[in-house]
Amino acid sequence: MMKTCITNCEKSLWIVLLFVLPYASFSQVNYTIRGKVTSTTGELLIGATLNIGGTSQGTITDADGNYLLSGVLKAGDYTLITTYTGYAAKTQPITIDVSSSEQVVDLLLEEDAMNLDEVVVTGSTLRSTRRSLGNAINTIDVAQLEKTGTTNIVGALQGKIPGAQITQNSGDPYGGITIRLRGVKSILGSSDPLYIIDGVIISNSSANVSQTALSNQVGAASIGTNRLADINPNEIASINVINGAAAAAQYGSRAANGVVIINTKRGQLGKPKINFSTSVGVNELRKKLPIHTYGKQFGFAALRLHTISAVSDAQANANAGTTRVDIVRDGATTKLASNLVDVTRYDYQDLIYQQAMSYDNNLSMSGGTERTQYYLSLGYSNNEGIIKGTDFTRYNFRTRIDQRLTNWAKISAGLSYINSFANEKANGNVFYSPINSIAITNNTTDAAARDADGNLKAVEPTRVNPLSTIEDMEFSTSINRTVNDLQLNLSPLRNLTIDWVVGVDAYSQLGSGLIEAYPYQNVAGLPLERYPNGYASTTNNVVFQFNSDVNVTYDWKISQALNFKAIAGTNYQYFRSDFTRSSGEALAPFIQTVSGATTAVGTGYGLDRFSLSGEFIQGTLSYQNWIYLTGAVRRDRSSKFSEENTNQIYPKVSASFIPSDLTFWKNSAVKNAVSSLKLRFSWGEAGNLNGIGSYDRFWQFFPTPNLGRATLLPSGTLANPDVQPERMTETEGGIDISFFNDLLSVSATVYQQTINDLVVNRVLAPSTGGTSIVNSVGTMENRGLELATNLTVLKNKNFNWEIGVLFNRNRNEVTKLGSPSVGISNSAGAPVFLIEGQPASLFYGFPYARNADGSLLLTAQGLPQRERGTQTSITEFTPVRTGEQPSGAFVRAIIGDPNPDWTGSVSSSFSFKGLTLGFLLDAVQGVEVFNANKRTIENVGIGPLAEQELKGELPRGYIFSLVNIEEFRVDPGDFVKLREISLSYSFGKVASIFDNITLSLVGRNLYSWDNFSGQDPETNAGGNNDLLRGVDFGNVPIPRTYLVQLNVNF
Amino acid sequence: MKKSSLYGLLVFLCIGISACDQEYINPSSASEEQVLNNADAVIALANGLQFRYSVGRASNAYNTITASGLSARELTVLNAGNTSEDLIRQGANNVQGNNSVLTNIWAQSNLIKAHADLILANIDQIKEPGVRSGVLAHTSIMRALALGDLATYWEQAPIVVGEKATFSPRLEVLKNAVAQLEVAAAAVAANPPVASFTAKIISGIDYANTIQALIARYSMMAGDYTKSFNAASAVDLTKRSFFAHDDISRNAFFETSTSNRNVCEPINATSMGLPDTIKVNPADKRIAFFINSTPGTNLARASFFTANTSSLPIYRGGEILLLKAEALARQDKVEDAIVELDKVITKKASADAWGIGADLPPYSGERTKDAVLQEIYRQRCVELYLSGLKLEDNRRFGRPGPKDPKAERTRTFYPYPLSERDNNANTPADPAE
Repeated sequence: MMKTCITNCEKSLWIVLLFVLPYASFSQVNYTIRGKVTSTTGELLIGATLNIGGTSQGTITDADGNYLLSGVLKAGDYTLITTYTGYAAKTQPITIDVSSSEQVVDLLLEEDAMNLDEVVVTGSTLRSTRRSLGNAINTIDVAQLEKTGTTNIVGALQGKIPGAQITQNSGDPYGGITIRLRGVKSILGSSDPLYIIDGVIISNSSANVSQTALSNQVGAASIGTNRLADINPNEIASINVINGAAAAAQYGSRAANGVVIINTKRGQLGKPKINFSTSVGVNELRKKLPIHTYGKQFGFAALRLHTISAVSDAQANANAGTTRVDIVRDGATTKLASNLVDVTRYDYQDLIYQQAMSYDNNLSMSGGTERTQYYLSLGYSNNEGIIKGTDFTRYNFRTRIDQRLTNWAKISAGLSYINSFANEKANGNVFYSPINSIAITNNTTDAAARDADGNLKAVEPTRVNPLSTIEDMEFSTSINRTVNDLQLNLSPLRNLTIDWVVGVDAYSQLGSGLIEAYPYQNVAGLPLERYPNGYASTTNNVVFQFNSDVNVTYDWKISQALNFKAIAGTNYQYFRSDFTRSSGEALAPFIQTVSGATTAVGTGYGLDRFSLSGEFIQGTLSYQNWIYLTGAVRRDRSSKFSEENTNQIYPKVSASFIPSDLTFWKNSAVKNAVSSLKLRFSWGEAGNLNGIGSYDRFWQFFPTPNLGRATLLPSGTLANPDVQPERMTETEGGIDISFFNDLLSVSATVYQQTINDLVVNRVLAPSTGGTSIVNSVGTMENRGLELATNLTVLKNKNFNWEIGVLFNRNRNEVTKLGSPSVGISNSAGAPVFLIEGQPASLFYGFPYARNADGSLLLTAQGLPQRERGTQTSITEFTPVRTGEQPSGAFVRAIIGDPNPDWTGSVSSSFSFKGLTLGFLLDAVQGVEVFNANKRTIENVGIGPLAEQELKGELPRGYIFSLVNIEEFRVDPGDFVKLREISLSYSFGKVASIFDNITLSLVGRNLYSWDNFSGQDPETNAGGNNDLLRGVDFGNVPIPRTYLVQLNVNF
Repeated sequence: MKKSSLYGLLVFLCIGISACDQEYINPSSASEEQVLNNADAVIALANGLQFRYSVGRASNAYNTITASGLSARELTVLNAGNTSEDLIRQGANNVQGNNSVLTNIWAQSNLIKAHADLILANIDQIKEPGVRSGVLAHTSIMRALALGDLATYWEQAPIVVGEKATFSPRLEVLKNAVAQLEVAAAAVAANPPVASFTAKIISGIDYANTIQALIARYSMMAGDYTKSFNAASAVDLTKRSFFAHDDISRNAFFETSTSNRNVCEPINATSMGLPDTIKVNPADKRIAFFINSTPGTNLARASFFTANTSSLPIYRGGEILLLKAEALARQDKVEDAIVELDKVITKKASADAWGIGADLPPYSGERTKDAVLQEIYRQRCVELYLSGLKLEDNRRFGRPGPKDPKAERTRTFYPYPLSERDNNANTPADPAE
C-alpha cells in the first residue's frame, strides 16, 4: 500500500517533467548580474537573499556583501528582490536582454523592525512575506537559540514564543518538554503541534521503551523523552511557529494544534567556513525536598506512618511507654500514639543527588559555488542528570546539499543521522524511583549501611532502599534515527513554480530495563509491583514516517498594482510503528537481561499504521503591497476514520492590510510616530484527522497470555465505527505596530477557537456492557490573547540595549463532554477530572471545611476537616452546619486548576562593543500544582508539618486530619524563573586565521521566585500527557545550570 | 506551454496522490464479528471471562474478598494510602460511589455479564454438542458469579445489558443466575464436554459440580431452601473446582495483598474476624490453615493466598455441607441440620478436598433453630474465611448492622458507583446503610 503511494507521487512528478521539459528550453539569453548589498547605515549585509521574481533563480551575498547572479532566462523585464531579516525587502526592476547580459546592481536596504518583508516558511515548500499573512507567525532566529544553557531544542524556546506554554516536565536529562500552542485542543488526541524540519514531518512521540516495568503503574502518564530531544539546536537556522489553525491549508489535518517549522542551516556562496563551538557546564540541585531529620517519632521505633497510624491495644501493650490519644476524624475515633521516642534520622537525599557535568561540542563547515552549496555538521553533547547514574548523550550528523540543475530546476537534499542514548532511573510515579523511594520511607535506618557481603540492607519494611534505585536499577533508551529530505524546485515558466518535497523520519528506539533482585527482600517484604525478585526487559520500537508534498504556485500580475497568487498542492503522510517487547522476572544469577528471566516471561507486539492525504487550493489577491486577501479550500482524508466520514472539506479566509505603506502615510508626519502598522484577520476551519488512535473506531478483542490457553478479552472501551473527526473553527485578529522609527514595536493577537465533534472516551454506565466509548460527543473552546513588544532603549555605534516582553493568556473550556465528568487516571492520587463547563484537567475533590471568612473550620479538637453539606451540582455545594460543625455528606469541589491565568517573559540584551549581557525571565502565573509528595512525606512522618507536630507546634493528629482533604495537596504553582542569563565577549578577528572568537558564560534556571512547598513548581508527573498537568509526584526537579561556551569561526 | 495543459497538470497533481485510501486493521486484536462466528474464538472469549473475573487488582477475585473482608471485619488496612480500601474499612458514609473497589466490582461484573450474554446469544455457532455444552457451562458459571457478586453488594442490579438499563431487585438477579445455571446443568448432563473443549479451556473448573454448588449458593441467597438443599446434595465433595493461576495470570489477592504488608491483612491472628459473642474455638485447626503467624509476614499469607500460582477455589466443600445444614435449619429440621453441621465441625483436614478441617468435637449447643443457625454462621465465618461471602452471611444471618452499637459490619449494601449513576438515570437511590 505504501509502495503505491510513493509510486503515485513519482508518477505525478514524471508527469510534471514530461509536461515541462519540452517548453522550458528555448528563447533564452545568458545573463550576469553582480553587486553589493548594504544597509542605509553603511553596514555590509552578509547572507542577504536575492531572487529574480517569477523564477527560481537566486543567490545569497557573501562575507563581503557581494553577490553574483548568472544563468539563462528568457529576455524580458524582471524584478530583483532582495530580502534580509530586519530590513524591508527591496524590489529592483531589471531588464534581461542580449545587450545587458552583464550588469552591476548595488542595493541599499532600509531597516524594518516589524520584518514585514521577511520571507517566512509557511508550509512544506511554501514561502510568503510576513506582510501578506493574515495570521500570526513567530520567528525564532539563530541568535535566540544560542547561549540558552540547554541542548534541547524545545527547552531553548521557553519564554520566546507568544502564545506558547512550554513546560519542562522533569529535570531528568532525558525528561520531556511539552509545547502547547493556544491551549489544549483535543482530549483523545494529542495537543502537540506538528513539527516540520526542512519539509519533513518528524515524530515527537514519547514511547516508553526503557521503563516497561512501570508502564502499567503510571495511569495516563506519558513518561519519557519526547523525540524532539534528538534534534541539535546548533543545526537550526530559524524556527517559524504558527500558533493557529491558519496553517491548516498547507498542512491540513495534522496542523490543528499549530505548526513548528524548523529550518536547518544551509551552505552559502564562498570559501569554506568553519565554525567550532564547545561548552562545559555544571548541573546542580536547586532545592531539596523538605524532609526533616529531627530525632523523634511518635509511639515506638517500629511504628510505621507514625503520624497517622492507629495504634492497637496489642501494639500499645507490646511497646512499653506507648501512650495514646483519641482523635476524631469524620465522626470516627482513632487512637494515635501520643508519646515520643528517640530515633536517629538520616538525610537520604544526599545519597541520590550529584553535581553533574554537561558537555556540548559542535563543528560545522559550509560553503559553495554558484551552482552548489553545502553545509556539513557534527555535534556531540553529553548531559548528566542531578540524579546519580542518569545522562543523555547525543551525536548528530547533518548534511545539506543544494544543487542547481538547470536554470529552471534546483534540487536540495538533507541527510541526517542521530544517535542518542539515555541512562535513566525509574520515573517518579512509582515508589522505586529515587525521589519517591525517599519520600515514602521513614528515614530512621542508615540506607548506606551494608552487610558483610557488601549488600545494601533493608530500610522500612515494604520500602525500597533509595540506594537500590541508584545502584541496582538500570533503564536505558538507545535511538538510531535518520531524518532526510529531498526537494525539487522547478520554475518551468515565468511565474510558475512547482515544488516537490519528500521526507522520511525513521528511527529505532531500543529500550532495556533491569531491576536486580533486592538482597534484603526477605526482611523488607516488598510488594510484587516493586519486582522483589528482579526484572528485565527489552523493547524495540521501530518508527517510520513518510511524507510527500507537491505544491504548484502561479503568480499572476494582473496589472501594475494588482496581483494574484494561486497555489495548489497535495500532501500524503504515512506512519508506521512496530513495537515489540519482552520482559520477565526472577533472573538467573549474573544475568542482566530478559534472557535470564525464569518467571512471568511475557512478550507482545503492537503495530500502528495510518495514512493521511489531502489537497488544497489557495488564492491570494493583493493590491500594491497594502492589502492581501487569501482564500483556501482543503480536502482531507485519513485511514483512522470510516469511508463515510473520512472526506472532510475545510475552508479558510484571511486578510492583511498595511496602511503605513500607503503613500499618504509614508509622506505624512504620522510616519514619524507610527512607523509601521499592519492589521490582520483570519478565519478558518481545520480538522483533527489524527485525533484518535488508529483503531479507536473499532471495538477490539485483545489477546492476553493466560495459563497456556488462547484467551480473548473484549475491550471495556466500546467504539463507534462512524466517529467523526474533530473540527476546529478559529477566528483570529491582530495588529502589528511600531513607533518612533521602530524603536518600539507591539504585536497583538486575539483568537477564539471552537472545537466541535470533540472525540471523548466518554464514561459509560457499565450496565451497557462497556466502561467507556470513543465518540464525537464534546465541544471545547479556547480563547486568548498574545502580546509581544520590543523596545530599543539605546542604539548607537557602541551600545545596543533591547527589551522584549511577552504576555499570553488562554482560557480553555470543555463546553460539552457527553458525561458530567471524566477522570484521568494516575498513580499520584491526584483527582484530575475533565468537567463539563470547566477548563480541562482540573483538580476536583474534597475541600477543607471553611468558615464564612475563608479560615479553616476546625473540629472540637482544633483540627482541620473535610467540608460537608449538600452537593447541588457537580462543582457546587451548600455547606451544612449542625451547631458549629459541618454535617451532611462529604462534598467535592474544584480545588485547583493547572491551567495558568497567564504566562509571560521579559528578555533583555545589552551590548557594548564586543560585550553582550542578556537575560530572560520566564513567568507562569495563576496556576496550581497538585503536590502528591506533600502528603506522602507527612504521612510517613518526615515532612515539615510532621516536624512541627513532633515539636508540639501543631496539635497531635494534625497530619492525620489532613489525610482525606485533597485540597491540602494543592499548592500555588506560580513562578518567575531566571530562565537564561549570559555574558559574552566577542573578540572579532583574531590573527588572520579566526574570523571571530566568542567566549560566553551562561546560566539557566539559576533562580525561581515561587511559593511552592516542594522542589520545583514547573513539573509534570503526567509527562507529555496533555490532560494530566501540574502534578508533582517524585519528579526530578529542574537543575540549575552554569556553563562556559567558546565559539570559533574561521 | 499552453495554459490549458497547465490547468490539466494542476488538476492531475491534485488528484494524483490522493488515490491512496486504505483501511488499516490491528493484527494484534480481533473484531466482534470474527470472534463470535468461530468456535475456537468463542472458547478464547470464555477464557477471557475467567481472566477478567480472577486476575488483577481490578478483578472480582481481589475486590470481592477485599470488600467483604473489610466491611465485615475480616480484614484491616495496613496503609491508609490505599484510600478506597481504607474508606470501605471505615464504612458508613465513607463509602461513596467513587470508591474504586466498588467501581471495579460493578464494572467487571457488568462486563462479564455482557460478554457472557454475547457468547450465549451466539452459542449455536458452535456445532459440536460436547463443545457447545462446555462453553455454555463455563459461560453460565462466570455469568452467575458476576450476577451473584452484584446481588451480594447491591440491593438492585440490571439483568439485561443495554443503554439506560433497568434495575431488578437482587432476588430477581439471583434467580436469573440460577435459571441460566439450570440450562447449563441440563446441557452438560445431555452432552458432557469433550476433549476438543477441555483442551482449549483453562482447566480447573469442574463443570457439573460447580453448577450445582452455585445453584445451591445463590438459591440460598434468594431464599429458595429446597432448591439450595437439592443442588447441594448433588455436589460431589471429593472434587475440586478452582481458578488456576501462574506467574503471569496471578492469584489476585496474593499479588496485591498477601504478598506484602502494605495493603490489607486480617485484623488479628486469633479471632478469624468473629466477635466476642461468638468466638472461634482456639482449638479449631482451621485457624492455622488460614493464618500465617510468621513475624513480618502478612497474616493471610496462607490457605489459598501463598503464591502467584495459588489456585482459588470457586466453592469449598464445607460451604456445600453448611448450605445443606442451613437449608434444613431454616425449614425447621433442626436435628437433620445438626447432622450436616457436625460433618463440618468434626471434619479432618485429610477428609477435605482442600485440606480444610476444624477437627473439633461435635456440636453440643442448644438444639434450637436459632442456636443452630448461629453455629452455622460461626462455622461459615471460619470455614469460608476470605472467600468474599462474609458480608452476605452477616446480613443473611441477621447480625447487628452498621447502626447497631454492636455492629459487626460497616455497611449492609453499597452505594451505586458514580460511573453508573452519572450515565444511567434508572439508577436507584443509594441505601441508607
